[in-house]
Amino acid sequence: MNKLLNKTGLVSVLALLLANCGVNNVVIEGEFPTPNISKMPVSVAVYYDQALRDFAYLEYTETGSEEFNIESGASHIELFNSITPAMFEQVIFVESMEEAQTAGVDAIFAPAIEEFQLALPAKTKLDVYEVWIKYNMRLLTVEGDYIADWVVTSYGKSPTETFRTVEGAINDAAVVALRDLASTFSLSFGDVPEVRDWLERQ
Amino acid sequence: MNGNEAEAQSREEKMNPYPIFAEGYFKSFLLIALSVMASCTSTTVDEFRQGETGITSDETVVVLGRRQASDYETRSEFIECVGEKMGKGDNALNIIPEQEFIDAMFPWFEPRTAPLRTQDLAKLMAEDVVANKMGEFGIRYIVWVDGFTETSGRTGSISCTVGPGGAGCFGFGTWEDDSNFDARIWDVGSFTNVGTINTDASGQSYLPALVIPIPLIARVEANACSRLADQLKGFVKGS
Repeated sequence: MNKLLNKTGLVSVLALLLANCGVNNVVIEGEFPTPNISKMPVSVAVYYDQALRDFAYLEYTETGSEEFNIESGASHIELFNSITPAMFEQVIFVESMEEAQTAGVDAIFAPAIEEFQLALPAKTKLDVYEVWIKYNMRLLTVEGDYIADWVVTSYGKSPTETFRTVEGAINDAAVVALRDLASTFSLSFGDVPEVRDWLERQ
Repeated sequence: MNGNEAEAQSREEKMNPYPIFAEGYFKSFLLIALSVMASCTSTTVDEFRQGETGITSDETVVVLGRRQASDYETRSEFIECVGEKMGKGDNALNIIPEQEFIDAMFPWFEPRTAPLRTQDLAKLMAEDVVANKMGEFGIRYIVWVDGFTETSGRTGSISCTVGPGGAGCFGFGTWEDDSNFDARIWDVGSFTNVGTINTDASGQSYLPALVIPIPLIARVEANACSRLADQLKGFVKGS
């Protein structure tokens, strides 16, 4: 009986040690205020593809093992859900491109994440955690043709602090990057030449 | 002195021949040493006034941190501290909390979109949504604080051991903190920079460990915060 208990205890300790050696999961969570901007007089269907919904980034150690798995798909959707109704007169969220094509809107907006980068103080020797994200913003006609297809980058950082976890600092840097995306995207949307031309035609 | 007290004193002298280690003396000595060492902070405040100031009871001030630099960022805790201190005590002002203001003005005061010069603020106020929100808050002055606290000169070492008989640490550590913060005051009514206040504070912290580590922390950033807040209050009031 004692031997069995010893074995169980040993297995539990080993399992605990192995669990600590695994990848750290970080689910990005934050609050995004509604932008204070003038609405554009257009109706837009917003479509998130599966790649955006499930977006996760894996950061590796210098030896090549998995260190952090950063899940930010849900927070990106929350962010776009918050900013698009403030940007356009009418917004509908659709589950498929087919649904968007029958929704009777002026255009379809479909954002995508192209690249995600994370910089940790242990690697950069700076006292900040940094997150950099590159997006591909696509504005399409209801027929599926491109009105505009442009790149937006966002950046966020958070300082190192004594009693803050690495996961917390990564989350804070990512939330700053998402807010940066919201501000850049909402303020520069009308300045994209193809979008500006399209808005003038509406 | 009665007989009992004399007996007690004689007993204490036999047990402890050095009076400095007598309980009363030692406590006082420790307290003085702690207060002398912990208060090793020096703060310098420079004020440069470029325009007249004054504020009415229905007007407010917002203190914001600059976060454009790539290698550091003005800590929101420091900004919160300055704001809180400006809103309390003599000459207290109506202060709008930083995060509440930034969220309400979103996306105009984010690190990449915030106005860097007073001319940019004038352009920003041309937007109706911005001007209306500013009016709702009753903002008269925006105080932009930029700076950070740097720790240098870390020396010494402390080692701790845990054994069956107990645990303890032994050693000595010391470091220096240097805080430097610039505050620029913008008058929202005239879109001008009405002044700049610079606060520089530095101090040495010690961590002696004789069984238990005793941190003697120089309150550098806290001193910088309170001196800057006091100076800002007087500046805004026009005194």
